[in-house]
Amino acid sequence: MENGYWLLALIPGLPLLGAAAVAAARNRWSKPALAGTACAMVGLAFIATVVALTRYLGLDGAGTLQAALWSWGFEGVGLGLLGDAVSLWFALVVTGVGLLIHIYAANYMADDPGYGRFFAELNYFIFAMSLLVLADGFLGMLVGWANVGLASYLLIGFWNQRPAAAAASRKAFWVNTVGEVGLILAMALVWNAYGSLRFADVLPQAGSAAPTTLNAIALLLLVGAVAKSAQLPLHVWLPDAMQGPTPVSALIHAATMVTAGVYLAVRAFPIFEAAPVGLPAVAAVGAASALFGAVVAVGQNDIKRVLAFSTMSQVGYMILGAGVGAYSAALFHFMTHAFFKALLFLGAGIVIHHFHGEQDIRRMGGLGRQLPFAYWTFLIGTLALIGLPPLSGFFSKDEIVVELLVTGHPVLWVLAVAAAGLTAFYMTRLFCLVFTGQAPQAAGAKGRAAREAAAAREPEATHGRVDHGHHAHHHHGVHPLQAVPVVLLAVLSAVAGVLWIPGVTAVPEHFLGRVFSQYHTAAHAAAVAPEQAKTLTMAVLLVVAALAMILGVRLYGPGRQGAGPVLPAAAVLANGFYFDDLYRAAFVRPWRALAAHVGQVIDPHVVDGAVNGMARLAGTLAAGLGRLHGGYVRRYALALLAGTAVIVLYFVML
Amino acid sequence: MPGMAVQGYLVLSAVLFVIGLVGVLVRRSPLVTLMSIELMWGAAALLFLTFSRLWAAMDGHVFTFMIVAVGAAEAAVGLALIVLIFRSRDKADVDDVRALRG
Repeated sequence: MENGYWLLALIPGLPLLGAAAVAAARNRWSKPALAGTACAMVGLAFIATVVALTRYLGLDGAGTLQAALWSWGFEGVGLGLLGDAVSLWFALVVTGVGLLIHIYAANYMADDPGYGRFFAELNYFIFAMSLLVLADGFLGMLVGWANVGLASYLLIGFWNQRPAAAAASRKAFWVNTVGEVGLILAMALVWNAYGSLRFADVLPQAGSAAPTTLNAIALLLLVGAVAKSAQLPLHVWLPDAMQGPTPVSALIHAATMVTAGVYLAVRAFPIFEAAPVGLPAVAAVGAASALFGAVVAVGQNDIKRVLAFSTMSQVGYMILGAGVGAYSAALFHFMTHAFFKALLFLGAGIVIHHFHGEQDIRRMGGLGRQLPFAYWTFLIGTLALIGLPPLSGFFSKDEIVVELLVTGHPVLWVLAVAAAGLTAFYMTRLFCLVFTGQAPQAAGAKGRAAREAAAAREPEATHGRVDHGHHAHHHHGVHPLQAVPVVLLAVLSAVAGVLWIPGVTAVPEHFLGRVFSQYHTAAHAAAVAPEQAKTLTMAVLLVVAALAMILGVRLYGPGRQGAGPVLPAAAVLANGFYFDDLYRAAFVRPWRALAAHVGQVIDPHVVDGAVNGMARLAGTLAAGLGRLHGGYVRRYALALLAGTAVIVLYFVML
Repeated sequence: MPGMAVQGYLVLSAVLFVIGLVGVLVRRSPLVTLMSIELMWGAAALLFLTFSRLWAAMDGHVFTFMIVAVGAAEAAVGLALIVLIFRSRDKADVDDVRALRG
């Protein structure tokens, strides 16, 4: 245990400083200065994370780094930072991938009038996210959690003149608020049950609470995790969040923010393990989301929405891993997913720019010949996501799926394998439609109509932003500031698997395992021998992925007609099983009706009625009493006499 | 002071007061109303003096002086009002002056 390790404060502190500086100077500094400041702050935060990591490793598993920042004067509540394996693991990815995306955005957003605002908000997000993962208790985590939600809101709605973006940002905020309410209620129960909100106080004695309380805490925490991580049934905000600029999609809605739920599930794992329904609920949500996201992704036609549902599916894998106690595997998949999903999104940004803001993959094609750079990097990301060896996704997804079998969850294992097959299919479809076949006709009425339709949808084009114009002049080049992060992410996506090669290395297991072994040492009773499970899983996953890819190439490969065959139930898939319509019918419309009722009936009649009624009552009373006030002095005198007589009589009678 | 004499004063006071009261209630001339009020003042003052003498205390005298002083002031204000009323209309009738009706 090392207290007062103030370096930790730099990790959220520097990006916050950067956000403030860039926001203040956004209209005064030049664009390179703005982007440079933002990148430098995240870069320094990354370096601070690396230094903290070295220091933590120097502790040799004998404790954690801590820095108490603020206390309200009584135990258990306060703002402090905690550096242990899990939080530093997350901070490393948040600042590392965050830095790469900052660099990418420096060029990607080059022609946006809101350049400074963008970088201020991006830095602010890094601050919030690193606070979330570094906080030493539920309170600090909630502060980070809510700030992350705000940053997400700001960035989804970055193009705030567009109604669709504004609606998407509101939607994300509302759904996340559902999760925050769950989190706050869970915190209240935690405080009640354990008398503290600090992880170090709560988690070691997690099992001491009553089972009912534990169930309630676990389920409420899960509500928070589900909302933030876009899991069923609170996933509806994530596809819409793609209205934000592509670097935002890469950073927030793929690599970091949506994994906050994974962080919560892993961080609070003693609670989930102690609660009778904790882990099964987590696993069920994760498996359902993994499969659902993969199924829906098959039917999506917007390149970013495919990746969004894919993110939901992959985060589902992580949650699923956390739900069967495979914490290290879940966090390993978090890291590799951050690499390849950020890579895919940044690649998608290049693709979208190349097609002048077109996002419909059915209207793309033949990019492989025109833009080999995008082709190869996107291919690495695609194969990593599908999970082909030796790319990173293979090792990390494999670890999770194997663990399902080892811990005796054959049903979940089948679901995970099915989702993996679908993943291979939709990524093959996406890749083939974009990069193979004929390039879309640029000229002709059809092409123009398509471009206009795209212009109506796509932010960059509607704004008459020149980034397409700017790129149109050098189609075949990708700016170095965009290329370098993409290449780095491609390398990471390709080789990160070496961290955990079964039987050879197990860096995540050793590094992260020290946190998980801190509280419990009971090994899971292996339902299936690990070696057999491993061989079986690996073989099945590879066969399923290969079959799905072959099918994908057959249907959507270079020889396809037009945009390939239309899938059965395409409308159902494209609409994501009508969750939006369901929520519209179940929540939005009744709520609007209620609001209309309040606005048109209750407010004018009940509220205003009460106020006006008081006035009318006073008026009526005054009119009635005023009649007594006739102006005849002699009548007043008579009234006086009568009154006096009554009083006198009263006393006389007494 | 003999009891009979006290009763006489009390009866006189009551009679004066009732005359004044009836005058206020039934007469419509502001001047007569004012005079009737003065009568009621006088009845009250007489009552004060009667009991003051009966109990050989000076309080009643003090009040009587007060009544005289206030009555004089009131008469001055009242007469001024009556003059104004006379000026603003042909005849003076208290029932005509009812601008303060509700």
